[in-house]
This record gives sequence, structure tokens and C-alpha cells, in this order.
Amino acid sequence: MLAVWTVSTQPSKSAPAEIVKSVGVSTAPISIEVFSDFQCPMCKTLYEQTLRPLEDDYVAKGKVYLLHRDFPLPMHAHAREAACYACAAGRIGKYEAACSVLYRQQNVWSVDGKVGDTVCSVLSASEAKQVRAMATDPKIAASVDHDVQLGTTAGVQQTPTMVITYKDQRYPVTGAVNYDILRRFLDQLLSK
Amino acid sequence: MQRRFLLILRVVLAVVFLYAAYSKLRQSWLLFAMAIDAYGLLPQWAVLALARTLPWCELALGILLLTGFWLRQAALAASLLLVVFFGVMLRSYAKGLEINCACFGLGEAISAITLLRDGVLVLASAVLAALAFRQGRAVKQI
Repeated sequence: MLAVWTVSTQPSKSAPAEIVKSVGVSTAPISIEVFSDFQCPMCKTLYEQTLRPLEDDYVAKGKVYLLHRDFPLPMHAHAREAACYACAAGRIGKYEAACSVLYRQQNVWSVDGKVGDTVCSVLSASEAKQVRAMATDPKIAASVDHDVQLGTTAGVQQTPTMVITYKDQRYPVTGAVNYDILRRFLDQLLSK
Repeated sequence: MQRRFLLILRVVLAVVFLYAAYSKLRQSWLLFAMAIDAYGLLPQWAVLALARTLPWCELALGILLLTGFWLRQAALAASLLLVVFFGVMLRSYAKGLEINCACFGLGEAISAITLLRDGVLVLASAVLAALAFRQGRAVKQI
């Protein structure tokens, strides 16, 4: 994968410290905000079958700026904890690794609840210690809440929801979108 | 009385079909294709073909219902289409799929409310079709 995930902290006066999990260049013509829940099966499908090739074909080429937003649903018992662990991993530059393992082993930790062990399995011992400590940090929880608030404001009702923005026009798209159809749509936007 | 009721049903269903067509045709057909694909029922070629043609079919049905041309056929086609929509939505809801209904463009998740609305439309179109066929038979007998 050519694209590189970046995690930065943007303090805001009105909101808690916002963790932006983005990939690509912010000046790309199209931006896609992905609201997802690590415990949602369709989010796993979207991540593995659509977002991965999207990063290679569009994000790495500067055509799309991808932003990940956490939107853990109340009906998923471990989704919020998973979001906190992913954000904590993001603080040490391991967001991509955490996302990848959380989706890959979704059917395991969704049942046994061992979210921390799952994320830490792809980290070194010292990184794991840091991430475990940060996952319970109220600032991390506040950043997840902030993402949820952003989603609610944007009208997100279900996961996954992608909000595609091109020339100030917003297109909300829900579900595990087929990559080939999404690719055609993005090409159509870029050819305008 | 019956003719007035028939007229009201025709106009209401025509407006529903015309608005459904408008909401899809005003945006890229590929957004509608993504919404159809989310149901996970059709192969990609069928998804693309349906996304291209369905809004035009809805437009044609809306015009036919509004003008009253080929009323029996239009009412029957509308009923069949709405029954299919209702069945597909009910299946997705029962399976717990969190997807858009794509009934009138984007941004409306399948819910008990959308199912109730579609159920009422199915009933209305079935009544319209029954009345249209009964009226057609009465005209022939005269």
C-alpha cells in the first residue's frame, strides 16, 4: 500500500482534542469521510474490499483524501472499546495496523471481548503498554464522542456511511459499497 | 363516488412515482447503483442495468397513472413493482441490514416507517388495479 495513514491532534476551543485519522493529501479534489464501527460486519467488508483498493488507486495518486471517523453503535458491545484502542494506537502511529487487525479478527474479539489483546498482538511490548494506558484516557473517549457527534450532525444513521465531497457537493453513501461502482462514480466526478 | 376515489388513488400514486423518478434522475445514476448493490441481491451487471432503467420506468408509470392511459396495465405494473420493492425491503429489514431504502434518493434508512409507507402504497396500488379492472369490465358489458 502506497498511502500512509497520518494521525494528528487538532485542539479546538469548543470540542475535545480531535484526532484526525486521515490518509492522503487534504488538497485532493475529492474527500471521503468514512463513518464506521469496528464491530459492524459491513464495515469490515467496506474496509477490506473497497477502502484498500481505493487507497492504492485514488488516495496514493492524490485524487482522494480519506478520513476515518468512529461511529460505534450502541448495539455493539465492544465497538466503542475498539474505537478507543484504534485511536490510542493512532497516537503512536499505528492506526492502520490497529484497523487492519481489528477488522481481520472481528469475529474473534466480537465474541470473546479481548479487544486490547487483539490490537496489542500487532504491537511491540512497549507500544502495547503505551496503547493500553492511552485507551482508557478520557481524551481518547472524548475524541470518539466527537466523531459520533460529527456523524450525527452529518445525518449518519447507520454504518458504514461514506460522505463523499466534491466541489462542495456532498453525497452520502451507505453500506459496503462495491469498489467497481464507487470507482466509476469517482471517475465520473473527476471528469466533470 | 367510486370514480372520484379512483381518481384520487391514481393521482396519489402518480405523484409518488414521479417524485421517486425525479429524486433518482436528479443525481448520478451510479449513486442509485450503489444503493441497489447494498441490498446484495443482484450481480453487478444487473445492478448497473437496473440503476439505469428503473427511474425511467417509474417516470413512465407516473405519467401513465396521471393521464389515465392504459390504466389497468399501469396499475398492475405499479402494484407488481411495489410488491417487489416491499418484499426486498422486508427481507433486508428482517436480516438486519443497515442500508438505505433508496426509495426517494439517498439518505433514508430502511425502517418500520419506510416499510409501513411501502405497505400502504402496495395496498393503494392493489385497490387501484382492482377498481381499474372492474371499471374496464363494466364498460365492456355496456
